[in-house]
Amino acid sequence: MRVARPFYRRPFFWAVAAPPLLATLVCFVAPLLLLFYVSFMAPSSTQLFSHHATLANYVQSLSDRYMLLLIRRTLGVTAAVLGVCLLLGYPVALVLARMQPRRRLVTMMVLLFPLMISNVVRAYGWLEILGRNGVVNLVLVKLGWIRVPLRIVDSFEAVVIALLTILLPYMIISIANSLTAIDASLHEAAESLGANPWRAFWQVTWPLSSPGVASGMMLVFFLTLSAYVTIALLGGVQYKLLVSAVFDAVSTLQWPQAAALSFILLALALAAGAVIQLLLRPHRVQGKGRAQ
Amino acid sequence: MKRFGNLLSAVVTASVFVLLLGPLLVVIVTAFSPSDFFQFPPTGFSLRWFADFFSREQMRGAFTLSVELALFASSVATVLGVMAALATVRSGRRASGFFQALYMAPLVFPTIILGLSLLMCYRYIGMPVLAGLAIAHVLVGMPYCFRATYASLQSFDTSLDEAGQSLGASPLTCFLLVTLPLIWPGVLSGWLFAFIVSFGELNTALFLTGPGVTTLPIEIFGFLQFDGGQLVIAAASALQIAMILLIVLVMERAIGLARMVRS
Repeated sequence: MRVARPFYRRPFFWAVAAPPLLATLVCFVAPLLLLFYVSFMAPSSTQLFSHHATLANYVQSLSDRYMLLLIRRTLGVTAAVLGVCLLLGYPVALVLARMQPRRRLVTMMVLLFPLMISNVVRAYGWLEILGRNGVVNLVLVKLGWIRVPLRIVDSFEAVVIALLTILLPYMIISIANSLTAIDASLHEAAESLGANPWRAFWQVTWPLSSPGVASGMMLVFFLTLSAYVTIALLGGVQYKLLVSAVFDAVSTLQWPQAAALSFILLALALAAGAVIQLLLRPHRVQGKGRAQ
Repeated sequence: MKRFGNLLSAVVTASVFVLLLGPLLVVIVTAFSPSDFFQFPPTGFSLRWFADFFSREQMRGAFTLSVELALFASSVATVLGVMAALATVRSGRRASGFFQALYMAPLVFPTIILGLSLLMCYRYIGMPVLAGLAIAHVLVGMPYCFRATYASLQSFDTSLDEAGQSLGASPLTCFLLVTLPLIWPGVLSGWLFAFIVSFGELNTALFLTGPGVTTLPIEIFGFLQFDGGQLVIAAASALQIAMILLIVLVMERAIGLARMVRS
């Protein structure tokens, strides 16, 4: 990065810097601090919360069997989404990285386009495909493979499939970016030194792409945690996750409870981020093996 | 072995594209369906569900509000994002790192939690629904404007700016006549991305919409949850897709594919 040159006169600098800074502090940081504060307050039947400090919101959430089930489910779904995202995303990223720049650009655009469409539209598309009278069931019945339509929605599988396709592009693009930055001669060098393609992949390409894999996984994990609409539409009332519990707490006006649950969700996200960093150790290759 | 690998990745790539684009295609095909309920394969072509969409005042209202909100929010987000990027580029190393982390934070932060914290805050101080919703949309769009402008500014030669100022131009004149013309593709791409994000925003809007103040995605979601599978939803969804497609085409014309993919 270029060394900044603070040549603006002070008053002008602050005239430019202050509005966005204030807006972010007042509308983003302050509400989060308030939410954090409320998560430690006792509930009240007349107001949003009563000013009595307590840990009960967290203790109750973490000792409640149903909440623990939701947390386990959330971790299960995110693990499945991450695993399949990686398995499907990596080969596509490899194909993308080998393309000519112009073709790669067009292909990336095709990948980016679904990301720009609201999640609710894509979830609706999956309902039309997987639903009781959806494409899959209609085709299977017409083929005579089944008589009664299968019940696919409201399940682990439906939620995973929908989340997967919503988040795959992030994973692919993130991996492809780090793959295209790798100096191709490294791979050739490994092969000319006698490594077979698999070994060259595992010892050269994979470690060098780990920053992209790590950032893709973090993105997918964070977005999976808060993808309420997708989960609500494809999981229905039966298959709820932790984020659904935050919503249910809000709709029953249990504000402190909702606040505590959302910080548990955040803690889960941060913990998972730390685990991903630990497993992939992307920093060990940061900046190495880059194409010039 | 190598050929097997290539074949495998080709198959995976093809299926990934089917997975990604399939749901969108199904929605578009369904929107033109002439029948009362979902049928596959489609039985014909009609525009009745689009007519139905525009005859429902609530849906029409949601669509209009979404467009207005996206226009307003993306414009405010662009002004703030450009200011933030300018200040970040002009700051020392440490301050610049802090600004970057702060302004990019809403991008990765779970938006559900952001929505809830805003709702709590609004209830606490008694904020009108529409204003509160607009603030949330600005917040969600700002990181995109910041990032795109910041990227443009990094390849911007600051000595041009210095030259302008040493020749007696005020900082504002200098920005308008020197900096802005050079970084405008970044600014524009940030603005369009903020529009797209605001137009599809769900997680914060879920908490912040109220009676009479509903955006199109929330209207679709509510309808799906409570009224079930009427095909007017397909028409609404197809309109969402058409709107985004239009913006993508504008973007391609104005700033090119390369910059779009990069930002």
